[in-house]
Amino acid sequence: MSVEPITLRGTELSGKAGTEVEAARPGKRGRRLRIFGRYVALSVLAFIVLFPIYITIVNSLLQPSQIAAKSPTFFPTSPQWHTYSDAWSSGHLGAYLRNSFIQTGLIVAGQLVTSILAGYAFAFLRFPFKRTLFVVFLATLMVPFEITIITNLQTINTLGWYDSFAALAVPFLATGFGAFLLRQTFLQLPQDLQDAAKLDGYGHLRFLTRVAVPLARPTIAALAVFSFLSAWNQYLWPLLVTKDDRLRTVQIGLKQLRATNIDQVNITFAGTVIAFIPLVILLLIFQKQLVRGLTAGAVKG
Amino acid sequence: MSTPVDAVVAAGSGEPPTAAPPLRRRRFSRGVREAGLGYLLLLPAFLIFSVFIFYPFFRNFYLGFFSTPPFPGQPKNYVALDQYKDVLTSSEFLDSLKVTVIFAVITVPVGIALGILLAVLAHQKLKGVGIYRAFFSSTVATSIAVASVIFGTLLSPQVGLLHGIQTEPSILQNPDPIINISLPVIRSFIPSVALTAVAVTTIWQNLGLSFILMSAGLQAVPDELQEAAEIDGAGPWTRFWSVTLPLLSPTIFFAFVVGSIFAFQTFGQIDLLTPRGGPLKTTNVLTYYIYDQLQFSKNDGKAAVLAIALFGVTLLLTLIQFQFLERRVSYER
Amino acid sequence: MSRFVKRSTAAFAAVVLAVVGLAIPVAGAAPAQSSGKCPVNALKNAKNKPVDITYWQGGLQRANEEAILRLTDQFNSSQNDVHVTVVNQTTYADTLNKFRAGLSSGDLPDLVQIEDTGLQQMIDTQAVLPAQACVDAEKYDLSDNLKRVVDYYSVKGKLWPVPFNVSNPVLYYNKKAFQSAGLDPNNPPKTLDEVKAAAQKLKDSGTVSQAGFGMKLDPWYLEQWSALGGKAYVNNGNGRKSRATSTTFDNATGKEIFTFLDTMVKQGLARTNPADGSSAFDNLLGVGNGNFGMTIDTSAALGTIQQVLASGQYPDVELGVAPMPGPKGKGGVLVGGGANYIVKKSSPEKQAAAWQYAKFLNDPQTQADWSIATGYVPIRQSAANMPQVQQYWTANPGFKVAYDQLLAGVANTATAGPVIGDYQGVRDVVLDSEQQMFNGMSPSAALKLAKQNANGKIEEYNSRVSG
Repeated sequence: MSVEPITLRGTELSGKAGTEVEAARPGKRGRRLRIFGRYVALSVLAFIVLFPIYITIVNSLLQPSQIAAKSPTFFPTSPQWHTYSDAWSSGHLGAYLRNSFIQTGLIVAGQLVTSILAGYAFAFLRFPFKRTLFVVFLATLMVPFEITIITNLQTINTLGWYDSFAALAVPFLATGFGAFLLRQTFLQLPQDLQDAAKLDGYGHLRFLTRVAVPLARPTIAALAVFSFLSAWNQYLWPLLVTKDDRLRTVQIGLKQLRATNIDQVNITFAGTVIAFIPLVILLLIFQKQLVRGLTAGAVKG
Repeated sequence: MSTPVDAVVAAGSGEPPTAAPPLRRRRFSRGVREAGLGYLLLLPAFLIFSVFIFYPFFRNFYLGFFSTPPFPGQPKNYVALDQYKDVLTSSEFLDSLKVTVIFAVITVPVGIALGILLAVLAHQKLKGVGIYRAFFSSTVATSIAVASVIFGTLLSPQVGLLHGIQTEPSILQNPDPIINISLPVIRSFIPSVALTAVAVTTIWQNLGLSFILMSAGLQAVPDELQEAAEIDGAGPWTRFWSVTLPLLSPTIFFAFVVGSIFAFQTFGQIDLLTPRGGPLKTTNVLTYYIYDQLQFSKNDGKAAVLAIALFGVTLLLTLIQFQFLERRVSYER
Repeated sequence: MSRFVKRSTAAFAAVVLAVVGLAIPVAGAAPAQSSGKCPVNALKNAKNKPVDITYWQGGLQRANEEAILRLTDQFNSSQNDVHVTVVNQTTYADTLNKFRAGLSSGDLPDLVQIEDTGLQQMIDTQAVLPAQACVDAEKYDLSDNLKRVVDYYSVKGKLWPVPFNVSNPVLYYNKKAFQSAGLDPNNPPKTLDEVKAAAQKLKDSGTVSQAGFGMKLDPWYLEQWSALGGKAYVNNGNGRKSRATSTTFDNATGKEIFTFLDTMVKQGLARTNPADGSSAFDNLLGVGNGNFGMTIDTSAALGTIQQVLASGQYPDVELGVAPMPGPKGKGGVLVGGGANYIVKKSSPEKQAAAWQYAKFLNDPQTQADWSIATGYVPIRQSAANMPQVQQYWTANPGFKVAYDQLLAGVANTATAGPVIGDYQGVRDVVLDSEQQMFNGMSPSAALKLAKQNANGKIEEYNSRVSG
């Protein structure tokens, strides 16, 4: 209800502004200029966003003395590629990355399944205590994991899971965030779709898998990215539930690498690049899926 | 049509799927069946939450009544509400709460605004705009650890980019307010230089996510609406305020709620960038304070009280947001 | 449709089963606690040999980690009774925390290396076997161990850990910088006033680009300087006669130290860096990069510093090492570093094996190798007298400094060092007071604030252990 004023005002405004713009419609030259301006704006912003990454890559190829020099170096004239093999071998980054991927993969899969199911229940099903349960789910977002650690460590040990992938993944197989996100998305699906599906004789599970999930693909993709990243980001928990390098993840590896290479910052920077390269690649692949998913959702008709 | 539901109910009640036929004959009323399915769908998540979030969480309330020994296996003293009272009225707690709120107030709106800016710019029909989208989402590939190592090293007074011009104390060790205001009341609410640096790191690291989220929101805005407005002659600015922003409002609302909650749980950056919530506790956000009590003071009871406080504050904030912000959200239905 | 049903049923069953599996508690066997006697004979009678034990090392890095691994390999291959696995626990703080978590989870090592300051807490865990029990049971001769070290790790006359890696702070300075500033590179400052004068000269001559002195804000130095000044840090015999209940550093020596710190910072003669986190080594890096002329840091860094310098990365540095300059008074530097605690929750044969390995690390030959590789002080008289060590010290006089300054100190209550439960809490408030001082508070007010808050921390901790 309270939504309407905004929408109304919006329509009014666009109507009014219309004539002005029409009067000032620029010629071909002006249009080119405007497009050029957009590229400039995009490029400037891209530069700002990318600069820290760029300088990290540059620094990974410099000698430590160049990094520590008074005047910063912005381009490596004699790149020190060996920093990468140093970081790889001395930092055990290969094993760390593998462990991170396994832990993260398990968590993402689990979170997608549990979130879709819960989000669907909250959006489309009627049952007693739904609101209460939804608040309960949201409440999980407000419990920082740090405060549950002492008890959780005991639980993990009681289950005999210490130093295993189960310990790394199981506590994170569900997320209130995902349930919330999917509920919001499902709620935004047009009501007629549901009605149409009902007419076609679709049951809930068929509606979920054939209609709701495909239409929510953009959100699911975004959730996958998010789950992936938050799982990938952990380091306190993995440090606590793993014994040694065998199961430790890349974040700890990075912390460790930095602690042991205080004087060789270039190696720390190289390790940092190694730690984020796999994610960049993944993101590039995922970006395509994401966009395809988005357009598929947009042409739903 | 009833088959999947019944089969699932059977599986959910812990019996093997072969037990389904006798069940199928049973007549559930539609409502009961729907409710059963609802509970079943919630069950997996609910179990995980119960074991790994709620149980340890509620145990905190219990622990809060005790003065706990630094090491397990020794008796703890029942102190009733004394510990709650002492901790929640201590200046250390109030300062930490203030730092947390200031941190959230900086990082959340700025992060969202930048995300919208980038998303809107990258939403144009331009050749090669995909490259920019990739660029803008790139910080998503950095983890908190990666971002903290990058910024921590760049801001280092010894090897960082700025080490030539940094003065004493250097950025991450500077407890002075970022803007020098002599009014003591206002001054105490200005973030320290160190906290600002942590906030910048956080905003940068979150930028990719914020961008992706806002882009997804924009994609969901039907192009026809934009085109209609354009045909109506609306300029880009007007289109943004009157079409894009209202239709983006569910996403923004979502980002606000979740962003605030996450801001209140900031931990990794503080641990990696600052000297344990310093300098002078100006980066001692609540989660870090709790961690500090657990790990360094080994005071589970006090940490438990702080955890409950953090929970209470976050809950309050979320309720307020739902109360005042969701009204302004237009769900497209 | 039916295919879907099967698939979805299976998927659901899998999820539900996996999740339900969580709720089934597995009874964790509580490890039996032994009587506090040292089971020295258990190893002899052990059925399966070698007895495997785990050693948590508390964050030895680089040269120090290489050395511990090499020595352990040597130990493992030298006999068939005990096999040791070394696990690096990243930092001393993490190690103590993981140990604490292990007390409830049961995941404990058999031998654990804990920082000097952890002494009271390790006693309070009630989970360690005092080394004294093994010393008594086996009549192990401690007389060759440096008395200062044994004193440091003894409370109420009982030795708790087996001493292993001992360090203390030394002055590191760049001889080349001293030379170009017109200072005598072979006569580094010995008192706080001389530090100030040297820093002034380094700055005035333009030799250093940031400050004369790189000052790590480590409360360790207040403790060290108090001991150098001959003053106890806490009451009750520095916490050794009975549990300390308040601090005693608010005295003339404390004032001298705080005033020194304040002057150095206010006059731009020193630049500070935190002792925690990633900037903890900025003082050393700054000397390397020509930003500082000198700094104070642990002697345990010497092995690594030398490795780094050998790489030729810092051609403008010629390292000088000297005793820690300090305030007036008669005392000595404290024993720093770490020591090895035998965990009494392990089985008797593992306890015996841990004692065996801890003895190996305390052995004169091991100590000789260890000190040469790392810069830690050899804690055995006979190790220091070995030709191997003597020759090395002649060639690298820097490695002898920490040993000499430890022996130069008198042995009394002050130099035995403080025993505090919430050591970290006390350090935190001392550090905060120092920072308040740099932000404008007067040294005496800052000292008073430090004392007051530190007493609060001690009281809080004590109320939780004794009550």
